[in-house]
Amino acid sequence: MRFIPNTESVRREMLAEIGVASFEELISAIPESVRFRGDLDIPGPLSESELLQEVSALSRRNGDFARLKPLVGAGAYRHYVPKAVGALLSREEFYTAYTPYQPELSQGTLQAVFEYQSFLARLTGMEAIIPSIYDGASAAAEAALMALRLSKKNRILVSSALHPHYRSTIETYAAPHRTELIEIPCREGLTDPVRLEELLGEETAAVIVQSPNFYGGIEPVAELAAAARNRSVLFIQVVAEALSLALLQAPGELEVDILAGEAQSLGMELDFGGPYNGFLGARKKYLRQLPGRIVGETEDRDGKRAFVMTARAREQDIRREKATSCICSNHGLNILASAVYLSLLGTEGLYRTALLNTRGAHYLEEKLAGSGKFERVFGFPFFNEFVLRSREPMVEVREKLLAGGFIPPLGLGSYLGDETLAGTALFAVTEILSRNDLDLVVELLAK
Amino acid sequence: MTPQELLYTEEHEWIEPGKSPARFGISDYAQGELTDVVFVELPEEGAEFAKGEVIATLESVKATSDVYAPADGKIAAVNSDLEDNPQKINEDPYGDGWLVEIEISDPAPLEELMDYEAYRKYLDNRDE
Amino acid sequence: MKLIFEKSVPGREGYSLPADQFEEIPLESCIPKEFQGKKRELVEVSEVEVVRHFTRLSKLNYGIEDGLYPLGSCTMKYNPKVSEHLAVLDRFVLAHPFAPADLVQGSLKLIHDLGVMLGRITGMDAYTLAPAAGAHGELTGVLIIRKYFEDQGERRIKMLVPDSAHGTNPASSAMAGYRVVELKSNQEGTVDLEELEKAMDSQAAGLMLTNPNTVGKFDPRIDRIAAIVHERGGLLYYDGANLNATLGLLRPGDTGFDVVHLNLHKTFGTPHGGGGPGAGPVGVKEFLRPYLPSPVVVFDGEKYRLRDPGEKSIGMMRAFVANFSVLLKAYAWILSLGPEGLREASEAAVVNANYLLVKLRDHFRPAYGGYCAHECVLTGRDYKQHGIKTLDIAKRLMDYGYYPPTIYFPHFKPYAEETLMVEAPESEGKEVIDDFIAAMIQIAGEAESEPGLLLEAPRSTPIRRTDDVLAARRPVLHYDDELKLKAGE
Repeated sequence: MRFIPNTESVRREMLAEIGVASFEELISAIPESVRFRGDLDIPGPLSESELLQEVSALSRRNGDFARLKPLVGAGAYRHYVPKAVGALLSREEFYTAYTPYQPELSQGTLQAVFEYQSFLARLTGMEAIIPSIYDGASAAAEAALMALRLSKKNRILVSSALHPHYRSTIETYAAPHRTELIEIPCREGLTDPVRLEELLGEETAAVIVQSPNFYGGIEPVAELAAAARNRSVLFIQVVAEALSLALLQAPGELEVDILAGEAQSLGMELDFGGPYNGFLGARKKYLRQLPGRIVGETEDRDGKRAFVMTARAREQDIRREKATSCICSNHGLNILASAVYLSLLGTEGLYRTALLNTRGAHYLEEKLAGSGKFERVFGFPFFNEFVLRSREPMVEVREKLLAGGFIPPLGLGSYLGDETLAGTALFAVTEILSRNDLDLVVELLAK
Repeated sequence: MTPQELLYTEEHEWIEPGKSPARFGISDYAQGELTDVVFVELPEEGAEFAKGEVIATLESVKATSDVYAPADGKIAAVNSDLEDNPQKINEDPYGDGWLVEIEISDPAPLEELMDYEAYRKYLDNRDE
Repeated sequence: MKLIFEKSVPGREGYSLPADQFEEIPLESCIPKEFQGKKRELVEVSEVEVVRHFTRLSKLNYGIEDGLYPLGSCTMKYNPKVSEHLAVLDRFVLAHPFAPADLVQGSLKLIHDLGVMLGRITGMDAYTLAPAAGAHGELTGVLIIRKYFEDQGERRIKMLVPDSAHGTNPASSAMAGYRVVELKSNQEGTVDLEELEKAMDSQAAGLMLTNPNTVGKFDPRIDRIAAIVHERGGLLYYDGANLNATLGLLRPGDTGFDVVHLNLHKTFGTPHGGGGPGAGPVGVKEFLRPYLPSPVVVFDGEKYRLRDPGEKSIGMMRAFVANFSVLLKAYAWILSLGPEGLREASEAAVVNANYLLVKLRDHFRPAYGGYCAHECVLTGRDYKQHGIKTLDIAKRLMDYGYYPPTIYFPHFKPYAEETLMVEAPESEGKEVIDDFIAAMIQIAGEAESEPGLLLEAPRSTPIRRTDDVLAARRPVLHYDDELKLKAGE
């Protein structure tokens, strides 16, 4: 077997050196009654060429996604990832390494993480960045648990315009902690500030609002955060489309206490839902309550700049049941993907990409809404996602788009199980779609 | 007060005897075991504690250590200087490294504590 | 090395974008002024500089292809190249999680089939492949246990965890709302049955166990342990961190375990990525299937679909179905080895570890007697008299060109102190291990004759030992912190 170098004769030699007559002696501690003696009922072994054929055949059961362009986002966005990202990630020193516990042999990973934290600090305006929680939803759930610890209260107000999968993940994480999750209703697709005021109370630990929200709407974060702050309630902002940060106000400047984000848009492919990379931002004074790893700068014995994992006493391997989270392995390589992506795009590239997104999205929205075949559902400002109601049945819209080479937008009526949203769809437009592509969409749907 | 004048718990904390509010901290032995303190979590002034409750948490690079209330009482003062200078716990555990002052509501448990000599013997026995 | 920020020069570009085809649309008409932020200053660097920067950074790292990576408990095995190739096939990597099911039949079938294979390898009935990492799997598994007891109307508030367990076990239990009861291990490093009998009462939801455990031992009384836990109505949780010793030899499902989590990035050959992404599938026995997180992949005889398992489900653990590319690599690894290959892999790993144990035991006194599973726990305690700590031994190994073994884990008194946990997975050949043994023995000699070499180590690495106290006392967490510090703010 090509992944197991020791041959039968070498193995015999090693067993002799160990001083046993057979391999079985080494595992004699396993009680015979539970020992597995059969043959595992799994396929293989396959040669490499057979494996390639097998897996390629499987991949062909999928659509041709190099051709099909998505008009759907809803928490997962297809942006262009420069080839340099993949090339650098495929360096074995990065992708085969372990978590950087030994800093002397891990400065590559550690510095890249520090650079990522630096990029994110500037994008978000937050003082401390936890570079990797598994994804945006689990980051939001961790933020919720953190707010419970900080406030020692147990009621969390959640905007009804939060991504339903994020909401469900928060519920799962909060379930054992007798937490009351209360939905803040929406008005016109945005979190209703009047209802928020009414719901804020003595027992409220935190308010969770996504912006841009699930429907694409840009929330008046400053106003909502101020309402929470006036009642000494923590304000958690969720960002599922991190590219929006390049154009919108920095959460750190809006008095957001904790930011929970998804960085998939910053250098990661869709990959059928993962691995993506969640992150957290917070005020520095909350550092000790943050879950997950963080890298800090220090010096080595010779006074040379060096990077290490720091504030480690929060973590499970040191604090066990009192740790701020059980998280151990996270999505380290995805941190690197974003660090490379942001280095390449830089100040101008990221800004222009964000501009392309928002302009393209508004171009399509305008054309479709103006065609008479669709109508606007909400009047809110948006970044690159918006909701339209089709006058034609959604089934037909989907068919036409698929036939024309597009992955259709998310039908909200069926997805949310909400009658009032029947016939509506959540569209996303990224820089992947050219003006010609968008004209074709209009051609397909509006003519 | 000098180390010789203080009372000690089995968890290596010290407290000033016969006073209320009384200063409270960790022993030289405790700071040595913990190694360099990098962060201190202190209670708020006015907070009330029952004997045995966690009053403060000290953090080094590789460990955290809880500090327990030696008796029932209320926090009269906290050494907020430690927030920026946690190393004072290592440098001067009986002086500038004090943690809090406690207004003792029930001094009975303090009678059980060790004096300097007894604590020294306790440490000697421990090392064996 | 300079930070990317220190290489920034105004006007340089590392990006290529299509021309803005929507220039007639003013930004203000898209995003009202009051919501616009100021332009974020990142960096301005050309592509070649970015590529050189990260290539140079990579050279400061140590990877599996640089040499032996004997990190106990981490199973640093070779990550096959073919898997990396497969994971970037367009039809997989560009699949949107909300694409219509008809367009992702290949992805769904792979997830489904991998679940079935893992079930057969571990003797479990149903799998979720959603968890993103081992600890995420633990949390999922313990939440399943919690939901199950809630459903049964039973109030059980404690979770039993051996003192030898990974920190993730108590942390996951606490996160799932359980009070953690630590079980002291016996002199052999395995579960003390008397302790277990005492602790396993009607308040205890069950026991989380790693087998072989974290001191590298198969528990000889696993049958009895399972009986005790089950007799008292508890559930038995299997931490799959050490599954690499068991393939084709011992299936947790046959051993009485009700819930299992695996680490695909340990046992199943997917890369560790410098800290992930991995994947932590969770397998359960049939009676726990309804509690699996949402969504699950189902096959109706014709098509594969994502479905919510129903109201008993613990809910979602993440936004989307799974860490797909990681699953793909594990799938490829399993198919490459086949049933015989899997068993050979575990056998080879166990032989390697015992060979290391026997060759090194005279120099680094083992924490426990007897043979080990796929990793062995040695100690550096005999060198304390020379002023040498295990940390120094580990650092000296770097000068010999090795990544050090896991140190100070497991760590619990009185048996496991000053530990060095060594694991050389099946992908390591005898010569590689012999070279490592020679280096270890040489270091043992140095510890006695020239301890300064160890205390000053490492000297051959890109940086020397770091000041972790400074890092913690004065947190510099990003570049702007550093700039402020320099400016004396």
